[in-house]
Amino acid sequence: MSKYLDLSIKEIHELLVKKEITPLDLVNESLARIEENKDLNAFITINDKVLEEALNLGEVDPDNILFGLPIAVKDNIVTKDLKTTCASHILDNFIPIYDATVVEKIKANKMLIIGKANMDEFAMGSTSETSYFGAPLNPKDKTRTAGGSSGGSASAVSSNLVPFALGSDTGGSIRQPASYTGIVGMKPTYGRISRYGLVAFASSLDQIGPMTRTVYENASLLNALVGLDEKDLTSVNKEKEDFTRLIGKGIKGMTIAIPKFYISDIVDQEIRTRIEEVITYLREQGAIVDIVDMAYLDTAVNLYQIIAMAEASSNLARFDGIRYGERVHDASTVDEMYEKTRGEGFGDEVKRRIMVGSYILSGENAKTYYDKALSIRDDITKEFNRIFKDYDLIIGPTTTRVAPHLGTSKDDPHKAFMDDVLVIPVNMAGLPALSVPVGVNSNNLPIGLHIIGKSFAEATIYQLASALEEVF
Amino acid sequence: MENYIPTIGIEVHVEVKSKSKLFSNSANTYGMPTNTAVNVVDLGYPGTLPTINKEIIKQGIRAAHVLHCDITRKMHFDRKNYFYPDNPKNYQITQNRTPIGTNGYVEIETNEGKKKIYIEEIHIEEDTCKSAHRGRVSLLDFNRAGVPLIEIVTKPCISNSDEAVSYLTKLKELLFYANISDCKMEEGSMRCDANVSISKDDKLGTKTEIKNIGSIHNVGQAISKEIQRQEEMLTKGEIIKEETRRFDDKLGETVLMRVKETGNDYRYFIEPDIPYLELDEDFIKEALSTLSLLPDELREKYTSLNLTPLQIEKLIANRPLNSFFLELLNYKTNYQTAANLLLEDISSYLNKTNKTLQDTTLDCEKLIIVIKELESGAISNKNLKEILPLLMETSLDLETIKKKCQIENITDDTVIMDIIDQVLTENAESVLDYKNGHDRALKYLMGQVMKLAKGKVNPKKASDLLVEALNK
Repeated sequence: MSKYLDLSIKEIHELLVKKEITPLDLVNESLARIEENKDLNAFITINDKVLEEALNLGEVDPDNILFGLPIAVKDNIVTKDLKTTCASHILDNFIPIYDATVVEKIKANKMLIIGKANMDEFAMGSTSETSYFGAPLNPKDKTRTAGGSSGGSASAVSSNLVPFALGSDTGGSIRQPASYTGIVGMKPTYGRISRYGLVAFASSLDQIGPMTRTVYENASLLNALVGLDEKDLTSVNKEKEDFTRLIGKGIKGMTIAIPKFYISDIVDQEIRTRIEEVITYLREQGAIVDIVDMAYLDTAVNLYQIIAMAEASSNLARFDGIRYGERVHDASTVDEMYEKTRGEGFGDEVKRRIMVGSYILSGENAKTYYDKALSIRDDITKEFNRIFKDYDLIIGPTTTRVAPHLGTSKDDPHKAFMDDVLVIPVNMAGLPALSVPVGVNSNNLPIGLHIIGKSFAEATIYQLASALEEVF
Repeated sequence: MENYIPTIGIEVHVEVKSKSKLFSNSANTYGMPTNTAVNVVDLGYPGTLPTINKEIIKQGIRAAHVLHCDITRKMHFDRKNYFYPDNPKNYQITQNRTPIGTNGYVEIETNEGKKKIYIEEIHIEEDTCKSAHRGRVSLLDFNRAGVPLIEIVTKPCISNSDEAVSYLTKLKELLFYANISDCKMEEGSMRCDANVSISKDDKLGTKTEIKNIGSIHNVGQAISKEIQRQEEMLTKGEIIKEETRRFDDKLGETVLMRVKETGNDYRYFIEPDIPYLELDEDFIKEALSTLSLLPDELREKYTSLNLTPLQIEKLIANRPLNSFFLELLNYKTNYQTAANLLLEDISSYLNKTNKTLQDTTLDCEKLIIVIKELESGAISNKNLKEILPLLMETSLDLETIKKKCQIENITDDTVIMDIIDQVLTENAESVLDYKNGHDRALKYLMGQVMKLAKGKVNPKKASDLLVEALNK
């Protein structure tokens, strides 16, 4: 069995250019690895046309480092003619008739979609256990979660089934699984990547992002995904930039803030110790690291529950069985059809969130909860901006603990949100943030460092991340 | 016994004229085959996002202007959440908190003089799809889904059915004239709901809503009947419930559709997929620059040009003719004659050929020459009918057209006088009859003149000269 997928994408690219290997070799290897590691349950659907697509990819482009690379796409990003389930029974036979904008970009950059990655149902969850197809496993310890909601993407990259995956991050769903599985996951600035074709969970928070093995590979993939899209009014027009340009440039003179909240006792001791080691190293390298006070961070989870669920209750209303997806046929009235279709189609967590969201928007509650949450959300943004007047970056641990055992979060829906307490504030402010592995704990389980940047300062985040990934 | 005082408020929906739909680029048309003007956005496909058609925002600005509303400078869209099969996303994108226009009015004539019907607000929203029920099956046509609507809501300030009819007639004229909507009630491009309550004092009574009334005439009928029904109920000591009714024009009565449940809960919240819109002065100016004169402004202008009230109303009722006439006002000519020509010969030609003025080659310069020659007698009204087809269908000039139609009218008075002299000499008996008061003799003499001139003199001119010669 070949081992090309263990190489860096630079090395793979050289082999492709020298014609020592073809995209077909990479795809075959990837498919074989997926088959060997079926127990990881990283994929919901394999693209059965991928071999054909690999054969028809055309001449290798020496300037396109992404050429011929297999990629996993989270199953809430629509792919034309390729089943897209959102890990839900209600869409388990849904075959989209159009490509998401990011999927068009992946195809234009000649990457090969190997399959659709497992996830929490409609991206609602922190362990991917709400998937209708069962949870993906953490390759570092198969009794543990790969995180969520982009757990399948994380599992696939972490176990080298594919070098690349796309995830989506509404409240940490890229960064938290990246941290749990020891890979690099970036949630770019809100508006950086088009959401057109991402099945909406919470529209004002959702953002697609790259999940990869290394910082350089992450930045390379991001290069291909960004850009204004006229189909998404919330996408932003920015001058083209190379996100790899600051990688390896050193961090001397960089100013870095650590909010007290991020190293408080809500964080596991072993992780805190590792963060202290990181701080020491950063200072040795000439960076200025200060511990700062930041207000409102502790409110983010509550805000998230209000805003995300309110938006979700509306976004998921379209799954009614009328135009696409599953529909029950034994209903005698329209209302009964809605009730049965949605009652049977959605899992418990999705139903819970739709109900809470509907309640939050009901009558006077909209003012009491939703409007108030939006106003505190503005305050969080202002608080981040205040820190960013004096600092280039904010860091902390990505998660409060290492990947938990599967089955331990299910009983307490509220506790599950607390896994994301450190990552959620970033979505509230629409900022870019990344999780990069900084070694493992005493049980050999990965620890992730969370790096938050100013709006559209993804390149600076990569600069710091690249300074750490080789060291820890 | 004291009389009940009715209070009426009216909600009108008009379909806005535009090339494409409000939130997608599919065509905004009427009468296309079922489900052909549809794309994934209109279908509410998972992952799709709304875009915004700026032309419709401009239409909203125009509507706000002609209805004397304050134009909202910073606005957003809202989601109105409710489940119904004709509502593809199960939420409608509308404007709840920031309608594009507020505090307007329409002025109508009443028996007591002019009255302002106050407009509470006007807002932009998307239409639903059209449903058709065939036995146990319901069918949906998505061509209408996403078609732009403007909803116009009056304050409860209408006192009777006559005022309601005047208001709607005026509203229709204004929106039609500003080219905002076709306002065809029979095609559903203008729809009307009336809220009716009655009371003996200042406290408003319980209102009922009569939905979707099919014509302006029926609105008047429905309101009268509903007032009567409510009076009868209250007189009998019955209680009026808040309910939705419809007008059955065969029965000539309003009929109960459903009793309103305690407060509809639409769970409104700000549409997160569409950023706030800020309308700057330039954009507003640009929108208003294409507005032509409105009916009341036209009435004033045309009266000052000495057009008859009938001509004025006829011109205003025919927008293409009217805009041609307005263009003509840039030139010096006889406007009464011009109005006559447009409303008589030219209109009947257009009707006969089933054309609009814009389909023909007629332009202002051509028409002005025709008017000049009509006045000088170079062409007669009879000639006009002969030359009209060439005038309207070719780019030939009038001289060439006349030649083609073999019209060589004698315009020289002395030549005509010679002919008259010859006729008088040859018909001394008839001359005598005329002088003895036999009017028929004049007709005979005139016939002889025309015969001798081979029809090539202007009859009116010839007749004038003949009478003059006889009376000498």
